[in-house]
Amino acid sequence: MTRADLRRTNRSDLLRLGFVDLDRAIAELGELGPDAGDLLAFLGQTADPDAALTALVRLAASVDDRDTLLTALRDDEGTAMRVLCVLGASSALADHLCSHPEQWHELTDPALGSTRPAAWAMRAALLAVVGADPADASPVATAPDREAVDALRVEYRRQLLRLAARDLTHHLGVDDVAAELSDLAAGTLDAALAVARQRVGPDSAAVALAVIAMGKCGGHELNYVSDVDVIFVHRAADPAADDTASANAGRIAAKLAAQLMQVCSDHTAEGTIWPVDAALRPEGKAGPLSRTLASHQSYYERWAEPWEFQALLKARPVAGDLGLGRDFVEMVSPMVWSAADRDGFVDAARAMRRRVIDHIPAKEADRELKLGAGGLRDVEFAVQLLQLVHGRSDESIRPPTTLSALARLTRGGYIGREDGEALHRAYAFLRQLEHRIQLHRLQRTHVVPSDAPSMRRLGRSLGLLKESEKRLDDTWQDHRREVSRLHQKIFYRPLLSAVAKIGSDEVRLSSEAAGARLSALGYADPKAALRNLEALTTGVSRTAAIQRTLLPAMLQWFAECPDPDGGLFGFRRISEALGRTPWYLSTLRDEGEVAERLAHLLATSRYCTDLLEREPAGVRLLAGDLRPLGSDALTEEMLASARRQEGDKAVRAVRAVRRRELLRISAGDVLGMVTVDEVGFALSRLTDATLEATLEVAGQTVRGQRRLDEAPTRMAIVAMGRYGGFELSYGSDADVLFVHDPVEGADAQEAGNYARAVAEEVRRALGAPGPDPSLVVDADLRPEGRQGPLVRTLDAYAAYYAKWSHVWEAQALLRADAVVGDPDLRSRFTALIDPLRYPEGGLSDDDVLEVRRIKGRVDKERLPRGADPTLHFKLGRGGLADIEWTVQLLQLRFGARVAGLRTAQTLAALSAAADADLLTHEDAETLAASWRMASRVRNGLLLARGRAGDQFPRATLERRAVAGILGYQLVETDRLMDDYLRITRRARAVVDRVFWG
Amino acid sequence: MGKQEDFVLRALEERDVRFVRLWFTDVLGFLKSVAVAPAELEGAFSEGIGFDGSAIEGFARVYEADMLALPDPTTFQILPWRSSEGPSTARMFCDIVMPDGSASYADPRNVLKRTLGRAAEQGFTFYTHPEIEFYLFKDEPKTGEDPIPMDRSGYFDHAAHSHGSDFRREAITMLEAMGISVEFSHHEAGPGQQEIDLRYADALSTADNIMTFRTVIREVALSQGLWATFMPKPFTEHPGSGMHTHLSLFEGDQNAFYEAGAEYQLSKTGRQFIAGILHHASEISVVTNQWVNSYKRMMFGGEAPSYICWGHNNRSAMIRVPMYKPLKGQSTRIELRSIDSACNPYLAYAVVLAAGLKGIENGYELPREAEDDVWALTEKERRNLGIQPLPRNLNEAITIAENSELLAETLGEQVFDFFLRNKRAEWDEYRGQVSAFERDRMLPVL
Repeated sequence: MTRADLRRTNRSDLLRLGFVDLDRAIAELGELGPDAGDLLAFLGQTADPDAALTALVRLAASVDDRDTLLTALRDDEGTAMRVLCVLGASSALADHLCSHPEQWHELTDPALGSTRPAAWAMRAALLAVVGADPADASPVATAPDREAVDALRVEYRRQLLRLAARDLTHHLGVDDVAAELSDLAAGTLDAALAVARQRVGPDSAAVALAVIAMGKCGGHELNYVSDVDVIFVHRAADPAADDTASANAGRIAAKLAAQLMQVCSDHTAEGTIWPVDAALRPEGKAGPLSRTLASHQSYYERWAEPWEFQALLKARPVAGDLGLGRDFVEMVSPMVWSAADRDGFVDAARAMRRRVIDHIPAKEADRELKLGAGGLRDVEFAVQLLQLVHGRSDESIRPPTTLSALARLTRGGYIGREDGEALHRAYAFLRQLEHRIQLHRLQRTHVVPSDAPSMRRLGRSLGLLKESEKRLDDTWQDHRREVSRLHQKIFYRPLLSAVAKIGSDEVRLSSEAAGARLSALGYADPKAALRNLEALTTGVSRTAAIQRTLLPAMLQWFAECPDPDGGLFGFRRISEALGRTPWYLSTLRDEGEVAERLAHLLATSRYCTDLLEREPAGVRLLAGDLRPLGSDALTEEMLASARRQEGDKAVRAVRAVRRRELLRISAGDVLGMVTVDEVGFALSRLTDATLEATLEVAGQTVRGQRRLDEAPTRMAIVAMGRYGGFELSYGSDADVLFVHDPVEGADAQEAGNYARAVAEEVRRALGAPGPDPSLVVDADLRPEGRQGPLVRTLDAYAAYYAKWSHVWEAQALLRADAVVGDPDLRSRFTALIDPLRYPEGGLSDDDVLEVRRIKGRVDKERLPRGADPTLHFKLGRGGLADIEWTVQLLQLRFGARVAGLRTAQTLAALSAAADADLLTHEDAETLAASWRMASRVRNGLLLARGRAGDQFPRATLERRAVAGILGYQLVETDRLMDDYLRITRRARAVVDRVFWG
Repeated sequence: MGKQEDFVLRALEERDVRFVRLWFTDVLGFLKSVAVAPAELEGAFSEGIGFDGSAIEGFARVYEADMLALPDPTTFQILPWRSSEGPSTARMFCDIVMPDGSASYADPRNVLKRTLGRAAEQGFTFYTHPEIEFYLFKDEPKTGEDPIPMDRSGYFDHAAHSHGSDFRREAITMLEAMGISVEFSHHEAGPGQQEIDLRYADALSTADNIMTFRTVIREVALSQGLWATFMPKPFTEHPGSGMHTHLSLFEGDQNAFYEAGAEYQLSKTGRQFIAGILHHASEISVVTNQWVNSYKRMMFGGEAPSYICWGHNNRSAMIRVPMYKPLKGQSTRIELRSIDSACNPYLAYAVVLAAGLKGIENGYELPREAEDDVWALTEKERRNLGIQPLPRNLNEAITIAENSELLAETLGEQVFDFFLRNKRAEWDEYRGQVSAFERDRMLPVL
């Protein structure tokens, strides 16, 4: 190519080939001379054409035989590909080539494309450069020490160069690359040992030292750059050695081991090879570097932890005295295979994995290839765990190499075929990506770079020549997702095989092993859990098949909640109830969120579980929005469903809607989607709608019974107490007053009877036991309590209040909210009571004293015997009553003057009082916080155990559940208690000042 | 199980340990101990040893009695006074956990750990160095009889054939055998009164060491036919037993109290820390001086402070900033002189640290240094200088403490509540006692 040709070189051609810096590329092509154009096609195949070209210019300048090099590149396609691919993918190897330019000849070897170098040949070459005789049983280096160490590095890199060329150019399988790297490491360790022997001197003959590779090297699956994990074993060379000689042998072995490690890891002018890490040895860094076989044995028999056995899965003798090494492996392997039976094994192993994940700095977690969800470690961990569990009875699945083990596990049926293959693909991809990342600078890293040029280079090196960055990222994320999905399945699947015959060729997990696994996961009663699993998965129906795919995830979600056993049992009952309902399992399977929400509810809240068991179809609701419905929509829906029916059926329809809404609210609450204020509002709105619809149905029923066309009186229901204040809890009764007002000309007696019948019908219909939760309508707060008539006319209320007006009655009316029934009557009732509850001029001093006197009596007398006064939600220190009475006293005293106080809601009144400077904003905040805390714990307790409770729970399980519902960690129950006590104590201090004065 | 646990299990075998005492401390600072056989220890490490928490002062309400003691393997020690003949006994301190595995807020060790954790979040580690005073008597105390001190010597006296120095020699040997380094020891001012200073260490180790120290001193005394007491003020006419403690904060390897060139080489952090302790001194008094008797130590001057102030080498001040030693920047520290020997060291160090940290967090200004002998000033002069008195008795201390958010936050609600109720009861009981003082004064004349 002449200069003129070069100028004509189409810039867009260069762009198409992947060059970025065109001017520079053109200049460099020119420097290389006329034949450079022939290389363009090859450069276009490399990971980074710009870098490859630049490096080639450098290389050409470094070699003595520039013409030979360029000719070889031009004439031999294989050589060109090998040289350019290496230069484009690895700047570290490019540097190596430039400082040892003669090594470019290595890449002309046509055998590289077809022949894997033998391990013995690699070892022989490595030993030869340090001047040791490969044929010797204990070769000793003879080259001067510094030269030997440098020569070892150059030779290591020469072999690495050949391997990288094979890898990049000839599409080697990732497992083959890893195996060759392991062989290279083994030979290097042996050569390093020869150098160590030379350093230690003649003494070294007194001891036989074996190097056992662990981890990746032991598994024959090493990375390009990685720590090489090893354990050392020694014995005195003389079998008859006495104690002194043995102790001496130990010292020599430790010296040899230390020197070996140093030879590999020292940085010299020729760089370093890799660190040798002996931390997996007994007692880790605190233990002696080398031990005798007997010493190893006693350690593993007595002290070793589960993960140490997991590590021993990969133990493989690689250097030194191989016979001794084999003795070691034979000694430990029976122990490895019995490790999984030990108590707490799985627990310990899982805990270890959690620690690993927790330790990744958050900044790099999502670029991390090895750790984290969907990383290499996930696959390796799952494979090793399955090996340990099943390898005892099945030797065929014991190979130490991850991909081989995976294949065997799949063949043996321990992993489904498709899952196994998908996992295989994902793992191979992730490993190859890791190799390419490390190859670039020969650095030990597992972080996928985030900058565009690096991603482009990596993508291209994996053959993604177009849109390299995006396609690489997509592929990576796909595999990651796949791994994290499969990881879970594979882990839980053996549990299912223990109870269900999945296919004739599947191996079954013993129920003892499955039980141990379940209890490690947090199931308190593994036997019951296995029975439940069996019931869910037995059979050959489609249902059972879907359950088998669902359950692994469900089991994990249950295990993360306070009550896994309860969750699984509830799930079984619901699944049985819904049986083959077509939408049920497919909803769970296809809409992951529904299944997760369901698992969370079932393993956390008895209340939700109970609602779901009453009507399993409620599961459908979980697919939708869990925010409470508005009251208009609710009332409309209830009335519409009631109108389609008659009598009890109509009320049942109303109660069914109520049950559904209770589930919506409680599920939202448990899942942390609504606040405690919203829950109170939603429950009160729901009660409004229920009463409204039931009042209408009851009216019809009574008119039907009495053969009336028109109602003789108008009716309304007044919400009282916590209901009136929009502060209902799930289990609360609805406190009400019934009021009526006869229509013109109606017979008073008849109207009264009618109204009473309607009120009784409302109470009966809602309170009757039935499939849907009942609502107790409590009218005991009415004038004269239970002695008084259930229903009064508006005039009768007026007469009563005119005659008897105790301050406590006015106080009770503060919470009155006429919400249901005839709108006109409601507003007249409100007009009637307002002057009573917000008396003009406030309260007399006597009345204030009276309120305080009653509160004092309530505090003393109402608290149940044996209750802890600091922990009672309602009557305890800083509890609900404390706060409500404080607010109510302010309302009675200042309600006539301050409009904001005229509300039935505690928190609204509280902030109005603060705005009117009746107490400080800080005090109001303190009271509100305590009120919310007590309400939340009270609601949480009810949700957790399905029954109302009035003090902070004592039982461990309930505490955990309440902690979980309130958003605490499950192991922080005492922190929750501390918070509760603090917040209520502060509130009590405010009450002491503001209420007691 | 980790390496520490393994180390302990191995030591049990090698040293032929037949019993392991698991130690923990109740809310009032009394040492509790449960002995287990070595075979049970492995289980104790993983699951803890169950016990009835309601039987321990301040630990639990009756109905949530089940608690677990989880031994801390880093505190493993062979007890030297039981190892001379035959098989030995060892001890470990425990953390208390609830049956669900959550740490108990009622455990004083956890109170200190939580507070140290808060300091660690700000990058601080807290070091303490206590000077523990105590009395030695000739015999066991008997109701109604005045105790007889072991000797009649005074401060730094060197008595020939002194029981005291024998005693101190043996006690120190034993402490050293348990890995507790002793810095200094001498005869104190009162008859039979001794002082032993422990080497500085992180506050949790120090608190553990103080608990061990009290046991060792009592054991050695018994073995020599003596009786040791840490009672704050056993004699009306002789000085009480304080536990002056030198405090310092480190940020990594750097002493956070040190600043070259600042006044007394005391950094801003150090000044704010002192300001924090001064500001909250009355509130935490109920913990640093927790007994009715504690307040009788603090009303006569001498080594025990009665007023909230600080000074440089001013022995009447509550906090003393010792003379700076050049070239020893790392040793910059302050000396808190109010704490007495009968406190619960976990709680006392926790509240002192919390008060100091408050000073740093809120950037409190350090008040003026007290240069005079504060006892010599008149009430008016002190008021003029803004020097407040410490609570004069337990009742005042409780009343102030009841409104202390700092105390509640630091101790945790359960300990706070129990502690104050217990102290209130102690005061009420004391208030009703008719004393020898009253009888001696009044019977003859009224």
